[in-house]
Amino acid sequence: MIALARKTLIYEWRRFLPATLAVAFSGMLLLVQLALVLGIFESASTYITRSSADLWAGYPGTQSIDLGRPISRDVEMRLLMDPAVARVEPFQWVDGDWHGPVDLGSVSVFISGIDPSPRGLAFADVIPPALRLLLQEPGAVIVDRADLPKLGIGVGDRAILNGVRVRLVGTATGLRALGGVNIVTSLATARRLNQGVDDPGQVAYYLIKLKQPAAAAAVARRLDPQSAHRRYAVWTAQDFSARTVRYWLFETGAGLGVVFMSAVVFLVGAVITSQTLMGAVAGSVTEYATLNALGASYAALSRVVMEQATWIGTLGLLLGGVLSALVLAVAVGQDVPVALSPLGVLVCAGLVMAIALVSGLMAVRTLRRADPARLLR
Amino acid sequence: MSAMTTAIRADRVAKAFLSGKVRTQVLDGLSIELMSAELTLISGPSGCGKSTLLAILSGLERPDAGRVEALGERVWELDRAGLQRFRLQHLGFVFQGFNLFPALTALEQVMLPLGYLGLGHAAARQRAEAALDEVDLAHRRHLRPAELSGGEKQRVAIARALAKQPQLFFADEPTSALDARSGQTVIDILHRIARSHGATVLCVSHDPRLVTHADRVLRMEDGRILSDQRNPAAGPPLAEESSP
Repeated sequence: MIALARKTLIYEWRRFLPATLAVAFSGMLLLVQLALVLGIFESASTYITRSSADLWAGYPGTQSIDLGRPISRDVEMRLLMDPAVARVEPFQWVDGDWHGPVDLGSVSVFISGIDPSPRGLAFADVIPPALRLLLQEPGAVIVDRADLPKLGIGVGDRAILNGVRVRLVGTATGLRALGGVNIVTSLATARRLNQGVDDPGQVAYYLIKLKQPAAAAAVARRLDPQSAHRRYAVWTAQDFSARTVRYWLFETGAGLGVVFMSAVVFLVGAVITSQTLMGAVAGSVTEYATLNALGASYAALSRVVMEQATWIGTLGLLLGGVLSALVLAVAVGQDVPVALSPLGVLVCAGLVMAIALVSGLMAVRTLRRADPARLLR
Repeated sequence: MSAMTTAIRADRVAKAFLSGKVRTQVLDGLSIELMSAELTLISGPSGCGKSTLLAILSGLERPDAGRVEALGERVWELDRAGLQRFRLQHLGFVFQGFNLFPALTALEQVMLPLGYLGLGHAAARQRAEAALDEVDLAHRRHLRPAELSGGEKQRVAIARALAKQPQLFFADEPTSALDARSGQTVIDILHRIARSHGATVLCVSHDPRLVTHADRVLRMEDGRILSDQRNPAAGPPLAEESSP
């Protein structure tokens, strides 16, 4: 069988290029959009994913890490009593009000009080031990380097946080939080900053390191008091992070936004692709009609068009993949939070192929004009 | 030379077209018989209904009334799929526009319909090469339409129809886009197809140059056949064939 679809695609590539580009750019838009939204919302769980704790203990029913509420101090002892637990570390959570050296007015911030010892679990992936040690200086803080302009500060500068003088001792990458700036400080400094409460030393979370991280799920079930009136709950880091991302995705309506935008991208992609394909079919309609007169069925001609659509989808997918990789690489270089999951990539690829195939089906309708009787009028 | 038998019989076919509210009766109870192994030419002014007649006889346009029997089959009693199969197995077409796929070489153009007939690649290639050889284009078989002249393109189109080895061969204005010399070549080939393949060749044209080359000439006007003449000494290919 002569590969009419493929040979035409190669010979008349200029005619099919717009469709391929439309598919590629649709794919890129879908993927980059998803990566951005996931990236933004995964930054909501930065505290969890960038720490090396296996389990987290916090207030029961906490939907997102930024909604943490103080829990009783005796939780620490109870957790330490379990033989599977290697280390328990308090994590302080305080809302802050920042006045930098450059007058930008007051900036609302989150303050994370962490253990500054080199073995500390909180932000273990982001803050190297040498930098952590600097936090032992009273009033020392660390921020994400991307937040420097917002705070109007440089390393070594001083600022006022919750009415207390603090000094920026260094920057890290990967501390950006959603909805505000994340300021990292030591537990001791955080206690000084947590004014106007009954017990400034009370913390929102305890981070737990296990002797055998593989047993996290089972230990979490054991450590959780499991009663309706419990005063704290225990989750695996993975669960807590997923819950936080889900909360932001759905409570903020952003998830629906992604679906809506994807539908728009799909529609635009399909319209452009189908128009190009229809044009290509219309341009060859007398040839198709002749083939039909010679006995090639409408179904056989439709297969030619659908094969072209499939090729366009495949090429668009490859090109879109390359474009997406480039855009995402630039985003990562610019500290724009992006994240992708294999499922997300698969769904995007499926949508891209669907754009091409739906366009093919629309173009097949143009074949109705390939009526050989018209060649005789 | 094959013995002549009736290949197509049309009985009182009628066809009218509606354009807006105006109804034009193009054919009104026309009857005709076409013989195998002969080139029949239907000539007449444009709009006389000759192309419509060709479309009805070849299973492309359904008549409003009347009956068409081709190769013993009542064409318009077949269903859509049956009609498609009938065209695939028995019919060849050449149109005024050559309607070749720009992306395919001459050889591929001719092989393409053979794939739909179910022929394997090797068999299709063999047949296609033979057909191109018959229209004297074997040496141009790897060229695409853009590299061929008008006459060569029409010969590729003829080879495309011929390779199917059809018993019925329809040509609609096959020479009107060609210069005199190419037109002559095309009509000679059509004539040869009738003679050496025993095919029924029906050619519709207003080109007066073709009249002397046809075995039989039907003159049409206003949907009716005015004259039906046989031309015993038609065409040089005949003379060549009878005196080798």
